[in-house]
Amino acid sequence: MSDRFAARSQVAVVGYAHSPVRRHHDVPLGALALDTALAAIADAGLTKDDIDGFTTGSLLPTSGGHASVDGVSVVTANWLAEHLGVNPRFCAGFQGFGQIPGSVTMAVNALATGAADYVVLHRALHNPPRGRYHANPMTRAAGPMQWVAPQGYFGPLSMIALPYNEYLQRFSASRDAMAAVLVEARANGARIPWSYWHEKPITPQDYLDARVIAEPIGVLDCDIPVDGVAAFVLTRADRARDLPHKPVYVAGYAMGSPKRTRLPTHWPLDDIMEAGFEIRRRLEDATGVTVDVIDVPQLYDGFSPFVYFWLESLGLCPVGEAHRFVQEGIDAAAGGLPILSGGGALGNGRMHGVPQMLECYLQLSQRAGDRQLASATVGLACHSSPHFGGAVMYTAEPL
Amino acid sequence: MHKPVPVPDPTSEAYWAAAAEHRLALARCGHCGRLTHPPDVVCPHCLSTDPGFTFEPVDGRGTVRSWTVLRDSFLPGFAEDIPFVLVDVELDVQADLRLIGRLVDGPDTPLRLGDRVVTVFDARDDGPPVPAFSLDPTAEGAR
Ligand SMILES: [Zn+2]
Repeated sequence: MSDRFAARSQVAVVGYAHSPVRRHHDVPLGALALDTALAAIADAGLTKDDIDGFTTGSLLPTSGGHASVDGVSVVTANWLAEHLGVNPRFCAGFQGFGQIPGSVTMAVNALATGAADYVVLHRALHNPPRGRYHANPMTRAAGPMQWVAPQGYFGPLSMIALPYNEYLQRFSASRDAMAAVLVEARANGARIPWSYWHEKPITPQDYLDARVIAEPIGVLDCDIPVDGVAAFVLTRADRARDLPHKPVYVAGYAMGSPKRTRLPTHWPLDDIMEAGFEIRRRLEDATGVTVDVIDVPQLYDGFSPFVYFWLESLGLCPVGEAHRFVQEGIDAAAGGLPILSGGGALGNGRMHGVPQMLECYLQLSQRAGDRQLASATVGLACHSSPHFGGAVMYTAEPL
Repeated sequence: MHKPVPVPDPTSEAYWAAAAEHRLALARCGHCGRLTHPPDVVCPHCLSTDPGFTFEPVDGRGTVRSWTVLRDSFLPGFAEDIPFVLVDVELDVQADLRLIGRLVDGPDTPLRLGDRVVTVFDARDDGPPVPAFSLDPTAEGAR
């Protein structure tokens, strides 16, 4: 038993903004990020002169041969601060996957230590204008790629197909079971005005009819690449009480990491699950809250199998049972465990952990409108694979 | 469009030289004697920062831990090979030592977890042969 997280309930989310999510915006990503950050600051009842901290994880999550240009295809914390005309005391980016929990850890730590008083945390996602998102014209495989690309193993669809098939074979599950996850994500995304999939729910048959790319992964198992920006404002709990919206407190966080050297993008099922089990232990130790009391568990779903992996590794259902659990247990409108009530990435577009964090904020601050859940006291926002990402726990009241 | 051709470097030239002779050679740590693939800056088993890896031929037999059938490829050089199978194989030579390669038996091959495979080599026009796998015809219960 380790000590509780010293900054538990010391930091709160106090405002947000979200741009429309589109395949391609007709303004540069940087301009969209500036407008969204300013809207978030206003939503928090602040002005940009109050903001003295910035953080993000800016990585563009594509393996395609795209150049990365700050302000155009990515937006770093430094770029955002500079172009807002702010000279912040604290400005830092998270470098790994799990960009949302990673940048929340940086914001919380900076606020709790007094390195900043008001932090803007943003995430800007870009869909490159030409070519396929992950297609890569590589004809020479140097460095780490030499171990896999000559074999034809390349890119995130093969990466997720292997542990997903390992799951399906080990537990005698059918890929058809995942239709329930897609139907739920899209039903909730259809109710969100900024979602790419607004008013576009799907049926189980739509899922079953969709093209298969890397068996058992089909096109609808993947979130759709988009342009979109979200921004949040965080401050210390004592300052949060003076602001217009009900604060949502950060109870704690836990990150995961791979334990073994593997081939590039080789993610065996047991590596993923082992890290997920550890994230649960770390979260419970840090917060003193057990996962069974979480009533807004927003699981990451950038590829649909992550929903199974998070459900089982967090202990929200027994190992090997997620493919059955999702058939009856996750319909938020019918009182099921609302793991995708915010639509997730499958129901919003590739916003990379934003839908999970935002849904925790909206539900726990009672700002979810007609999607408001009857019970919203403890939220969990997961992002990425457990072994490269993490999770942040939020509460409606300080612990 | 060409398939990606491996570019050997000081950490890999012995691997590709062995492949050219249709032998699978993996990196063995000079300190703890264990195999690792791919070789890293340090030995992942004993954490030696001077692992002095030497590549030596290993038995290419192993067990299928997962697979995927590619019906689209994000590497244009593989477009003409669609559909093809990639297998995730745990080699017999050391627990949890896993390689990924093409299964040369074809996309309609029925597969199960635990199927036995052997290492084979996929000939290329413009580079060294690339390690791949084939179902082991000598395995018990082989189909
Ligand atoms: Zn060693």
